[in-house]
Amino acid sequence: MDEPRPVTVRANQAGRAARMANLLSAARAGSEDAIGQIVSELSPLLWQVARSAGLSQGDAEDVVQTAWMRLITHLDGIHDAAALTGWLVTTTKREAWRVRAAGRKQLPADQDVFADLPDQGPGSEEQVILDGQRRALWLAIGQLPRRCQELLRMIAFTPRPDYAAVATALGMPVGSVGPTRGRCLAKLRALLPGGPDGSLA
Amino acid sequence: MTSPEPGRLPPADEPLDDADFGVLDDIRELFEAVDPMPADLPERIRFALALRDLEIEVARLVEEDQLAVAARGTELSRTITFDSDSLTIMIRIDANQDGTVRIDGWLAPPQCRQVEMKTAVDPLAATSDSQGRFAFGRVRRGTAQLIVHPAEPSSGNTRSVVTPALII
Repeated sequence: MDEPRPVTVRANQAGRAARMANLLSAARAGSEDAIGQIVSELSPLLWQVARSAGLSQGDAEDVVQTAWMRLITHLDGIHDAAALTGWLVTTTKREAWRVRAAGRKQLPADQDVFADLPDQGPGSEEQVILDGQRRALWLAIGQLPRRCQELLRMIAFTPRPDYAAVATALGMPVGSVGPTRGRCLAKLRALLPGGPDGSLA
Repeated sequence: MTSPEPGRLPPADEPLDDADFGVLDDIRELFEAVDPMPADLPERIRFALALRDLEIEVARLVEEDQLAVAARGTELSRTITFDSDSLTIMIRIDANQDGTVRIDGWLAPPQCRQVEMKTAVDPLAATSDSQGRFAFGRVRRGTAQLIVHPAEPSSGNTRSVVTPALII
């Protein structure tokens, strides 16, 4: 039960800030390699932002790509990692709204990702099989208000040092000493089998 | 339904703790499993951002249609429209017999511009006529991107208009 958690983004935060600042200044000087590294790091977050907005896969690909192209024209005004992540999230959301407002190829409301809950019943080999823990988490998230589902999904893909910037970009309150748990995460913790004091393990 | 007991809700205004980070890691793994980003998307974005000039005007994809070409049975003709602040670009993609595609394009408002089709191999060049028409007769299938180069500086259009990278 107590497997060690993968350490995804808890690495040296100051080191990341310095590395991203260097990549940004190299990108401004025209380094394709530097832009490529930033793209690899932040595209998974932007994908979730676009999909949370209810876009189809194809529209989400277009919107994420458009956000990166717009960044190219705004690089001069962005100098640190948190500002970069916040700008990209805001721009991706705005581009997603633009596509939705145009009514282009948008998903019917009942086809959002939660409607695709893998049922794990017989014959579901083609679907993603969720083990017990993940299924419990999936069901708990599904009980949250829609806004909380979207928010937690986006924050989960945000590099930790950038939480505050992204929370601000998403209209989520940030405490004076940094990001707080917030209502959505508090509600989710209460719904999980381990209860409010434990994680899933 | 296990509704939480009153008072057992972790306070919303506390700083994030290790258990929160653990739950967020679990959420990330969950969505990586159920709604993963297409594996080739970062490569397509890198292709789109590999530009000689970073002073660009972004042309957004605003409409895409596939029409059956009656005379050729099951063959599909694809039309795509892009909009930027100064220009609308419409292209129509048709399959050639040899496995390549033909691309016919129109610029609106109509104008003569140098048009580049960036591909995985060498870029192709064309010039639009006074009606704004341009064409690439044979384009290899794969990732491609249109770049409409700046007009004469006197016209006020000094930036390239660039579309997203497409799979054709």
